[in-house]
Amino acid sequence: MKASSPRLQALRDAVNHVHFNRFRFWFQLAAFVLFVYGGYLAIDLGSRLPFFACGYNQEGRAGVCYLLPLQHQLSLPWARLFSYAGIAVLTGFLIFALWFIFLNKGWCGFICPLGTIQDWLTSLRRRLGIRYSTYSHGQFAQLTKVKYLLLALMILIPLGIGGGLFSHSMSPPFCLICPARMILPMFTGDFSQFTIDFSSSAAMVMTALGISITALFLVGSFVKKRFFCFFCPMSALHYLISKPALLKLKKDGSKCTRCGDCYNVCDMEIKEIADDIKNTNIMTDDCTMCLKCVASCPETGALKATFAGIPIFESTEAGFIKRMGKGVQHGK
Amino acid sequence: MENDAKVIPIQAAPYNLSRQAGEAENMLDHIVDDFPDNPQSMAYFYDLFRRVYCHGDEVKHEGMLVGTTCIQAPEELIYAFGATPMRLCNGSYHYDQKGADFMPAKSCSLVKATLGMLNSETVIPKIGKPDLIVNPTTCDQKKKASVMIEGMGHSVYELEFPNVKESEASRVYWQRSVRQFAARLRELTGKKLTRKNLQAAMAKTSRAQAAFRKLHNFRRKSPSLILGKDAFLVTNAYFFDDIERWTDAVEKLNAELELRDEAGFKAVQSKAPRVLFTGSPPIFPNLKLPLLIEEAGGVVVTDETCSANRMLYDMTAVDEWLVNDMVDSLADKYLKPCTCPIFTRNDDRRRRLLDLVRDFNADGVVYQAFAGCQVYEMEYRSVADEFNKAGIPMLYIETDYSTDDKGQLSTRIEAFLESLKNRKKHRA
Ligand code: SF4
Ligand code: SF4
Ligand code: SF4
Ligand code: SF4
Ligand code: SF4
Repeated sequence: MKASSPRLQALRDAVNHVHFNRFRFWFQLAAFVLFVYGGYLAIDLGSRLPFFACGYNQEGRAGVCYLLPLQHQLSLPWARLFSYAGIAVLTGFLIFALWFIFLNKGWCGFICPLGTIQDWLTSLRRRLGIRYSTYSHGQFAQLTKVKYLLLALMILIPLGIGGGLFSHSMSPPFCLICPARMILPMFTGDFSQFTIDFSSSAAMVMTALGISITALFLVGSFVKKRFFCFFCPMSALHYLISKPALLKLKKDGSKCTRCGDCYNVCDMEIKEIADDIKNTNIMTDDCTMCLKCVASCPETGALKATFAGIPIFESTEAGFIKRMGKGVQHGK
Repeated sequence: MENDAKVIPIQAAPYNLSRQAGEAENMLDHIVDDFPDNPQSMAYFYDLFRRVYCHGDEVKHEGMLVGTTCIQAPEELIYAFGATPMRLCNGSYHYDQKGADFMPAKSCSLVKATLGMLNSETVIPKIGKPDLIVNPTTCDQKKKASVMIEGMGHSVYELEFPNVKESEASRVYWQRSVRQFAARLRELTGKKLTRKNLQAAMAKTSRAQAAFRKLHNFRRKSPSLILGKDAFLVTNAYFFDDIERWTDAVEKLNAELELRDEAGFKAVQSKAPRVLFTGSPPIFPNLKLPLLIEEAGGVVVTDETCSANRMLYDMTAVDEWLVNDMVDSLADKYLKPCTCPIFTRNDDRRRRLLDLVRDFNADGVVYQAFAGCQVYEMEYRSVADEFNKAGIPMLYIETDYSTDDKGQLSTRIEAFLESLKNRKKHRA
């Protein structure tokens, strides 16, 4: 609303009126292709990526999910870990944090291939005309803690392995149960992860668990929007370091009518997005920064995404009417 | 009163000579004739009210007729089943008196008038007998009205509405309640709710809402392009007018306001105090208060009442266009943003009022409470405190549908507007 140049205002309007879901679909598809097949074009963005670009997708990957090297590093023998290797852990974390700070949880909403796959399963269900399910409020309050538990285990178990408390066949523990390990390589024709490792009982338990979790992932994401993200330890890690991030989800409570439209479309069932009118930084730990809430808020300026303080996508009345009108006419 | 021998048969007087028609005619004349520059496209609405309220013309509808006693009854569902919703909340003093038989003396004019209308032989607006009346369980007086309406031979559906809106439990409860309402409509009409007919119904409503919002936004302009009495008449017409015709008429009005804006037109003097109207809803012919404000040189720039802004403002967002999700989204739209005083807390109402004052550059607030409308009376204090803190003057008026207090009210309003003007001068 400030007196900016008419051209800039025109650009802002164009962005704010965009048919958001369609834009996001294509963006996610492009990111998926880049990170799942980019390796064939010799793209390598390193192994500190803040999302599930799975390292087990050996050929196609254009970079590696940070959780893989992190768990490997943490399972080094303690003598090494607590001396020179510690530096490598810290620099690794720093690079990860730098990546992360750039897009904040926007990596989840727009880039993470595992997130995108869940969205595809969602649209498959929608096309079949099947309704999604939701958690009750009580369930939500309990389940939302799981990701922190997984994060803690993901750090403690490797440390235990390094200290000789657990067997090496459990390494890297989270990867063994991570659905991405089986699912993403499949996209490049590699089904080798779909096996149970009988070499030791620990490996057997872990890989069998991995297969069941993958099955659960597929069923879960079909009935529940972003089923897995709710439990994702990466998401927990994100939240812990999200303060300095550049991309931000902002809310102006004085403009909010608490109509709940944003809550209604939120894949993560985040009630605060509608009800909280005090916090200006409205990103919660479950948020994937998909920005669907911004696109479905009818109050101009109530919600917005900012990058380094500059608004890049803002809720507007006109944008809302346009988008919802499209939905009414074509409705998929 | 036995007058055995000489009973003079009472000739039913033609409607247009009745007290009711007189009441409407009088109000409409003031609305139209007391002001010099009415927008031309308002003619549609003046004419509509003249036909329906002064001449007693029939209001036509498609399919079955579903009367509603409150804005919480989701109209999109009613349209989707091929029926026509009609808001029954009545504003006539004549019916208010008739309805006094049903309710204690000190109850709300609106509820009494609605009962009075439903109990009378010749109902105005002449909509015909509703096939179903939906009565959301909101305030006590409306709740108790259900059985009385049933006693008049109407079939009534009580739409269960929660008293608390913040909790997730109430949201889930209300969603279920709305789904049950859909089931009742299905039983009534024998039709099925499909994605297609619900989408079409929602499109109708959203088009009307988009037109309303545009009108609403024009009213931010200072000096005003249109007076509040006209805006109230427009939204009042939404109660019974054909939704598509109504939307067309509002779009025309918007186009005219756009031209007015470009031409630098002023509907009022630049000094005219800008007023936010809140509280019990003004319903034709009881536009007494907004009219008094504008006759005294003020202008109602926006409102927070369920006969206008609150009825049309909030829009539905749907994530997945499947019947279930659409119905739940609709339910959310009716509950979550609602600032009705029947809820336990009124934080949202207070925030909304402050937001409207800011956005519409209002100089002061007029708060109407119908005598006997306890919920609005009870919220007066907290709203007054809020405005006090913000340094915004507010005039609280307790009144009803009778015109007896007009003189006294106009003195108070004039004094209030005068004080707003002085404040404005001081600040300038
Ligand atoms: S298995 Fe999961 S955690 Fe491990 S590298 Fe792949 S995506 Fe990351
Ligand atoms: S939360 Fe979801 S989108 Fe984000 S990294 Fe985890 S799986 Fe990917
Ligand atoms: S959609 Fe916008 S106005 Fe509605 S609750 Fe969310 S932030 Fe508030
Ligand atoms: S709060 Fe908004 S950005 Fe975050 S997950 Fe929900 S809809 Fe997406
Ligand atoms: S005040 Fe509330 S209960 Fe009464 S008619 Fe208006 S919205 Fe309905």
